Amino acid sequence: MPNLNKTAEKSSAEAVAMIQSALKSSPFAQTKPVAAVVLGSGVSVLDNLPDQVVINFKDVFGMAPGVVGHSGTLTVGRLRPRDERSVAVLRGRFHLYEGYAWDAVTLAARTVVEWGLPNLLLTNAAGGLNQKYAVGDLMVLTGYRDHLSLKWKEESLIPAVQAKSEPIKNALTDMLIAAGQKLHQEDPQFRALQAGVYAGLLGPSYETMAEIEMLRKLQADAVGMSTVPEILSCVGSNTTAAAVSVITNVWSEDVAMGGHEEVLEASKAASQRLDKLFRQVLSQL
Amino acid sequence: MKLRHARRLDFTGAIGDFDQFEQFGQPVMDLLRTEARSPLVIVVDHGYGFASGNDQPHIVLDHLNLSGDNPLVGPNDPIGQRFPVVNDIYIGAADTVDQEETWSIGHPLGKLRNGIAAGVKQGQKLTDDQLKTCHELGSHFYCYNLVPTMIVAAHAGLKVLGIIVPEGQKLDAKVLTAIAR
Repeated sequence: MPNLNKTAEKSSAEAVAMIQSALKSSPFAQTKPVAAVVLGSGVSVLDNLPDQVVINFKDVFGMAPGVVGHSGTLTVGRLRPRDERSVAVLRGRFHLYEGYAWDAVTLAARTVVEWGLPNLLLTNAAGGLNQKYAVGDLMVLTGYRDHLSLKWKEESLIPAVQAKSEPIKNALTDMLIAAGQKLHQEDPQFRALQAGVYAGLLGPSYETMAEIEMLRKLQADAVGMSTVPEILSCVGSNTTAAAVSVITNVWSEDVAMGGHEEVLEASKAASQRLDKLFRQVLSQL
Repeated sequence: MKLRHARRLDFTGAIGDFDQFEQFGQPVMDLLRTEARSPLVIVVDHGYGFASGNDQPHIVLDHLNLSGDNPLVGPNDPIGQRFPVVNDIYIGAADTVDQEETWSIGHPLGKLRNGIAAGVKQGQKLTDDQLKTCHELGSHFYCYNLVPTMIVAAHAGLKVLGIIVPEGQKLDAKVLTAIAR
């Protein structure tokens, strides 16, 4: 059997020290970013930040993501020219389905917490379960279901499906929803945001139709293979986490499920709206 | 789809001319990833937790993976995609009716009931409360080996004829004959 337990190469403290060392001679040596943003498969926002410093994941975390659509870099830059504030953008993440252990999958989020950043914006590509959703919709997470924690490997998933979804209630989530409403009012081309519950599954195989129906009965609105570990890593810390799913397909018995390429394509199309949304929110932090 | 030349895996220990496995593991994965003459694998596994009056062999048409695990976790085997689509992998009795031999003995596969399996952790015995949850969420019984076997088969580009047999029961001889033919 393959090695299913690739542990983190570095501690979060070591990762923070690496970041600080890389930023030492940059304009960001003395100030911390107002937020970190984690970008999932094919999601491309906050490109070409003014004065940006780009660091490879390999240098920061000692490992690099192996999934197509993840570049594996940490960028620190200004949101706008001459803006005093900066943001950190993490392009890519580590997943349990790749065989990474929990400490490796959560290393980036724990590093953000250790660094002392007050906000963490997470993104992911997700399958739409809610049949009112359309491909390319953005869904702000107002709750999540944890179907991927390693404890389920010991206990089986049945306690997870018997549990209610966990709500996500915080100021950053409220800001995302408010910013989305404002952008939609100003420009009808900017689709209204969806808000719903994300089910995080282990993967890497996509869901069967029976599993889709099960998740719908459990009132999940979207399904993916990430994000929940990062949210859990921020619980009880001084970092507020909020998340947005890019809906890359909507599950239906009548429509054949595409593959990862379809996910990347749909993520690309929604990225422009997500970029506007994040810039709106980040400018208020 | 022709049953002839299909790989045949038995987890019940009751079918002599099938490849026998006590439980799902690396040897099963290796077998499914070897080249074969047919894109079909027939899997027979024990089932538990049938609703009252339904404890009889079933053909599996879909599943819920409630094991908390997935056999494809880890580096991707190049035989398949990193994110395999696992819908439309199970075949039903209707998919086997092109075989005249099967019809000549009354198409016994078509007389089996159809059901949805819940795949749970190896050896786990579900409580009544857990069983109720599984039934409410859409499964008709639970099993240990079929679901991970199907996921690996799907990843390798195979279709699966999954048959679940309640513990203590045997498949009807005519079903075995239909498969053997």
